[in-house]
Amino acid sequence: MGRALTAMETQSYGQNGAVPSTVPSTREEVGLDENTDTTSDSPWVVIVWNDPINLMSYVTLVLRKLFGFSLEKATQLMLDVHHKGRAVVSSGPRERAELDVYRLHEHGLWATMQKDGTDS
Amino acid sequence: MRRRNSGPFQPLSDGAFRINIAPDVRELLIHLFGELRDVLTQGTSDDPALRRLFPAAYHDNPDYDAEYHELMRGELVASRLTAMSRVVEVLGAGDRLEAGEMDLLLQSLNAVRLLLGTMLDVSEDGPDDGPEDPEDPTAATHHLYSYLGWLLEAAVAAAMSNIPDGGNHEKSR
Repeated sequence: MGRALTAMETQSYGQNGAVPSTVPSTREEVGLDENTDTTSDSPWVVIVWNDPINLMSYVTLVLRKLFGFSLEKATQLMLDVHHKGRAVVSSGPRERAELDVYRLHEHGLWATMQKDGTDS
Repeated sequence: MRRRNSGPFQPLSDGAFRINIAPDVRELLIHLFGELRDVLTQGTSDDPALRRLFPAAYHDNPDYDAEYHELMRGELVASRLTAMSRVVEVLGAGDRLEAGEMDLLLQSLNAVRLLLGTMLDVSEDGPDDGPEDPEDPTAATHHLYSYLGWLLEAAVAAAMSNIPDGGNHEKSR
């Protein structure tokens, strides 16, 4: 087991140029200790990734329920996930993004978060 | 999507749903939720079958990700157990699913499907129906996976019909 996800991750990272080694690896380097920099200029973005298991209709429904998107907006984001491999579904301070990621994980979607602009 | 008068989850005028699922299928679902509960409560945190249920939050920052999982994994487990426990009660009790319980049903069905799909190593290009050889040992699991997909699709359609601007209205553009 494990081949599908590994291949998928590799593909997604490759397509989107998210190179982990370009990201500072410790919290000291990125200055995200409590008192410093959680409200800096670049917010965190929450990304939903394509995966081969979740149903398209289910992803659309979850996006509507969690973020209050219209059917049209949620469908467009779902199609972006499906065709482009991923879509940004929310952005904001780290705590807010982490809560969004948690709620997406609770619903079984494959979501991650990162500082805006760290992979393009 | 059109409103259907039958199907496994029929939207009612008060926002709840009527469950039209045969007793043997209910038993099957309850059994599956029990299996997922066992995996969640007894499995190890590095069980590969669980990786889609607990994906990385920070794919480019292992330190942050470890923190996230330390804080949130317990919450995620508890949330899933609570949802499944309620759904099992509902399936055993009667034909009515309250509006607020639909989300628990969706989450639970999807969680079981994620587990099965991961075990089957489902991929984008793989055939939806699984192996053609009925003797293949994974054929029964593939069949179950497909069935759960159908059931989840029906639940999504029913849930959509209860959201304003939802799926049962023709959307004019």
